[in-house]
Amino acid sequence: MAKNGQMLKKKRRRNLLFGEGGIDVWFVGIVLTLLTVGLIMLFSSSYTYCYYNFNGNSLFYFKRQLFFGIVGVIVMFAVSKINYQYFKMAAVPVLVVSFVLLVVVLFVSPPPGFEQFHRWITIPGIGTFQPSEISKFAIILFLAWDIDKNYRGINSNELSSAAFAEGFNNRPGKIKIYTKTVCLVEYAIIILLTCALIYKENHVSGTLLVLALGVMMLWLAGFNQKAFIAVAIIGVLAVALVVIKPDILPSHAQPRITAWLDKDYDPLGVRWQTNNALYAIGSGGFFGVGLGNSKQKQLYVSEPQNDFIFSIVCEELGFIGAFIIIVLFILLVWRGFVIGLHSKDKFGALLAMGIVLQVGLQAALNIGVVTDVLPNTGISLPFFSYGGTSLLMLLGEMGIVLSISRYSKIKKV
Amino acid sequence: MAKKSRKVLQQRAVVAMILVFVVGFGAGIFGLVRAGLVKGEYYKQKAESQQLSDTTVSAQRGTIYDRNMNVIAQSADVWKVYINPSKITKDEVRQNVAKVLSDILELEYETVYEKCGKSKYNYVLIKSQVEYDKKTEVSQAIKDNKGFSQIIGIESDVKRYYPYSNFASTVIGFTGTDDVGRSGLEYFYDDVLTGTPGRVVTAKNARQINMSSSYESYYEALQGENLVLTIDQVIQYYLDSALEQAVVDFDATYGYGIVMDVETGAILAMSTKLDYDCNNPYTVTNQSVLEKIEELETDEEKNNALINARYSQWRNRTVSDGYEPGSVFKCVTAAAGIEEGVVTPSEMFNCRGYYKVKDRMYHCSHREGHGVEDFTTSLANSCNPIYIEVAQRLGSKTFFKYFEAFGFTEKTGIDLPAEYSPVANVSYYTADKLGAVELASTSFGQTFQVSPIQVITAINAIANGGKLVQPYIVAASLDENGNKTKETTTTIKRQVVSEDTAEQVSYMMEETVRRGTAKNAYVPGYRVAGKTGTSEKLPDRIYYIGSFCGFAPANDPKISVLIAIDEPKSGSYYGGTVAAPVAAEVISQTMAYLNVEPQYTDAELASLDVKTPKVIGMTTSAAKTDLEAKGFTVKVVGSGTNVVSQNPASDQVIPKNGVVVIYTDEKVVTTKVKVPNLLGMTVAEANRVAISSGINIKISGYTSGSTNTSYRQSITEGTEVSAGSIVTVSFKSSVDVAD
Repeated sequence: MAKNGQMLKKKRRRNLLFGEGGIDVWFVGIVLTLLTVGLIMLFSSSYTYCYYNFNGNSLFYFKRQLFFGIVGVIVMFAVSKINYQYFKMAAVPVLVVSFVLLVVVLFVSPPPGFEQFHRWITIPGIGTFQPSEISKFAIILFLAWDIDKNYRGINSNELSSAAFAEGFNNRPGKIKIYTKTVCLVEYAIIILLTCALIYKENHVSGTLLVLALGVMMLWLAGFNQKAFIAVAIIGVLAVALVVIKPDILPSHAQPRITAWLDKDYDPLGVRWQTNNALYAIGSGGFFGVGLGNSKQKQLYVSEPQNDFIFSIVCEELGFIGAFIIIVLFILLVWRGFVIGLHSKDKFGALLAMGIVLQVGLQAALNIGVVTDVLPNTGISLPFFSYGGTSLLMLLGEMGIVLSISRYSKIKKV
Repeated sequence: MAKKSRKVLQQRAVVAMILVFVVGFGAGIFGLVRAGLVKGEYYKQKAESQQLSDTTVSAQRGTIYDRNMNVIAQSADVWKVYINPSKITKDEVRQNVAKVLSDILELEYETVYEKCGKSKYNYVLIKSQVEYDKKTEVSQAIKDNKGFSQIIGIESDVKRYYPYSNFASTVIGFTGTDDVGRSGLEYFYDDVLTGTPGRVVTAKNARQINMSSSYESYYEALQGENLVLTIDQVIQYYLDSALEQAVVDFDATYGYGIVMDVETGAILAMSTKLDYDCNNPYTVTNQSVLEKIEELETDEEKNNALINARYSQWRNRTVSDGYEPGSVFKCVTAAAGIEEGVVTPSEMFNCRGYYKVKDRMYHCSHREGHGVEDFTTSLANSCNPIYIEVAQRLGSKTFFKYFEAFGFTEKTGIDLPAEYSPVANVSYYTADKLGAVELASTSFGQTFQVSPIQVITAINAIANGGKLVQPYIVAASLDENGNKTKETTTTIKRQVVSEDTAEQVSYMMEETVRRGTAKNAYVPGYRVAGKTGTSEKLPDRIYYIGSFCGFAPANDPKISVLIAIDEPKSGSYYGGTVAAPVAAEVISQTMAYLNVEPQYTDAELASLDVKTPKVIGMTTSAAKTDLEAKGFTVKVVGSGTNVVSQNPASDQVIPKNGVVVIYTDEKVVTTKVKVPNLLGMTVAEANRVAISSGINIKISGYTSGSTNTSYRQSITEGTEVSAGSIVTVSFKSSVDVAD
């Protein structure tokens, strides 16, 4: 039965990638689609900017991004081969590294022109990276690991077995310390400490993203719903307070709030970027002006390859193109959740959902900023915005989701 | 995983997903719909307004050329500098902009600073008609200063240049700052000269650098057409300068003149002095008027007076003003009489010095009467009674037929604005209103008003074998490539009198110049025919207009000329004394310029000037012998044996017995002499004085007969000149020129 043996061999080889124990084709498809569209749009949007800023080298950003994209895809598939259980070991070290970097970055002198912002660390030869990017992953990984361990305790009235708690619990009396309380306090401290450090960087959007991500993870962990209602009320009050009294914010963020509320404020300064993004979106209309034909990328939208790349997408591909890209992000989140929910354990589930939530939240925030629904905060669009190290990390995280998908009881295509 | 915990996680996950999708992406989609679709058009316009630079390509106004393609009026590109004050947010920027612009454009800093503060406006003009080099400086400043490109703008503007300033200015006219013709030809031909402006819509990036040309749309400008005039720059110059001098000489208010091509009716020159500079039409040129304005009390009076003075200097009086032609009109009466056979040039008349019509007594200019004279001589004497007689013979109806035929009841139709329009029974009498009295006064050119262009058109018909042509001033229009789009051809309106009649009147007019009241228009060799006229100015009858109208050469007329001196106040005001010499000047220069070969009579030849021979390089004695043999007076300077220099140089025209100074030694300084007074003398006297002073005279004007006196010398008395220099002396007759 030489023929049969050959078929088996073939099936086995296929299974390594796609079959039982193989990675999720849906998810790979969505990621690669987003990456491809992102690279094309980066090429288009950065073309003019590079032409004027790199002595006519229009492909400067594109080439670098393409390089990191290719390396990133290799990393993604490599990571997907690793059993995600091994990442449990990394949970604490990554969190520690995250904290160290967040402290270190405060003492690193920022790049010229960004003296207020301590967000970047330069690695010679590779480029810059933001420790906050690592922090987001660190929070997700740590919470996924720790919640997995304490899932039962969080979702029941189990008493804590921690050393300091045992003293209380073993004594007779009304005061009992539950596992869920200990966990909540512990997680809150970790999340809020991270947020505080990122806030020190003068990075409000990063702070908010980590906060939202942390709260989402806690929500998925199953903590009492009433706590989240309280958090939501506090959140709404905080937003209202900021809108009414922007001067409680750091000095760099105040005018952004003012500019968001007053559409005529400082059109050549703070609102320049937002206004030009809106002009780009308006110019695109429903069908867009066609790929490569944006006029607003002709130095009107400042740094069109970065946080405001989506406005160029809207101009060139129109509402319809932008909508499809949003749908792609929604599909990515959905598929990540499907992978997570079919995961064998809570660790895989929370890790997969946390990672796609991070991508989804960041994309939603970015689009909100570009369309002037939210104040202009420095937040990039995953898969699209220029940035080698962050793309590398993003694809690595996608690799983790793929690794989880190998072990999830998901219906394979 | 336990089923229960899986269910909880699932519920929580679904809530989280819905939250992210609905709140997160929902907000994004909401923003997209709002910015891209709902307010899309608004943002699109905003985007375009910053990306697109819509430049008007001004259609350049056509050029005006003279008949030899010399540029008379031309438009050049200049620029407007404006600012967008709404883009100025900081006072520091405002100061900087004001400083830079006021420095480059030579404006008051305060004024510019104030304009920069009009933050509600998007467009405030800083300066128009900015020339190329200044515009370049502004562009450079925009490049050098960050943010200036959003604030300072430059757009095209046009400026009209008139290279000859006040050359034929009342004819050419001028344009306003809006590039629209306001007066003269610029006004009359505004539609032809004005083109259709085009547009260039270019896309610019935020640094104001043009995006690639595929973003550019171009709507071509249609350039205005060019005009080629019949005006000849040289002849116009002769006329302009002769009239300008005459206005000064005779202390006149104005001087008008027209030179016309006899056969075609093309206007070769047309001038009203004093006029203005087409480049600065609002500057009043007449100093005495300005002084009078200064004396006025209120600003309002001054202002009104200034406005009137401007309108006055812009007026083309050769076309727009009516006047009584006076005795010039006698040519028309003569032509009518001869054509109708009621009189011949040789018919004998007896002038008793007056003529009585009904109860009205008409005097001849010569109160005692001219006695017995033929009809030709009566024209030469400008004898009123004879013309009353001829008109009576013709009768009102027939007389008016010719009055009409010569074009005095209609506009000539010349292509210039505001032509004088005759009105029946206001400016002239119609046949049924021409009673014996009116007929009598009309016959010698009074009690009706016509314009100078009408008069020259009528006299031109006599020169042109009886054919009345329509005068015109634009010969052709050309498109931007120089192709003719339209060409004016001669319009012969009608045969007014027969060729034979015309010839007879022409002969009478030639006699008038040769021996009559128009003798000061005499130009040797060019057989000038003409008639003078003097008329009182209505309504006050204090001032006069002295005029001359004629043509030359009588045997083959090339040009006809009209000269009118308005309100001469320096003594004599007769056409024969004020207008005829000016006509002679213009005719002699123009004939020579047109290469009309002079045909001298024997008498003329005898008194003709001669050309000096070349004696440089000859031995002193040979040169002296040669010159003396030719009749020159020779003065030798130095004791050398060879002639190294002579004054006048060779081929200069001087009188037959003129002085030639020859220099024999280089070391001897040129001998200087003082120019003597040469005014108030006869030709012979002036020549004698000149020769004795060691200079030569060039004789100009009327010199035949013995009644001439000099009235102008080109170099004033007392001026030091080299021996042998030539001074032009103008002569005219003051005897028997009254009409």
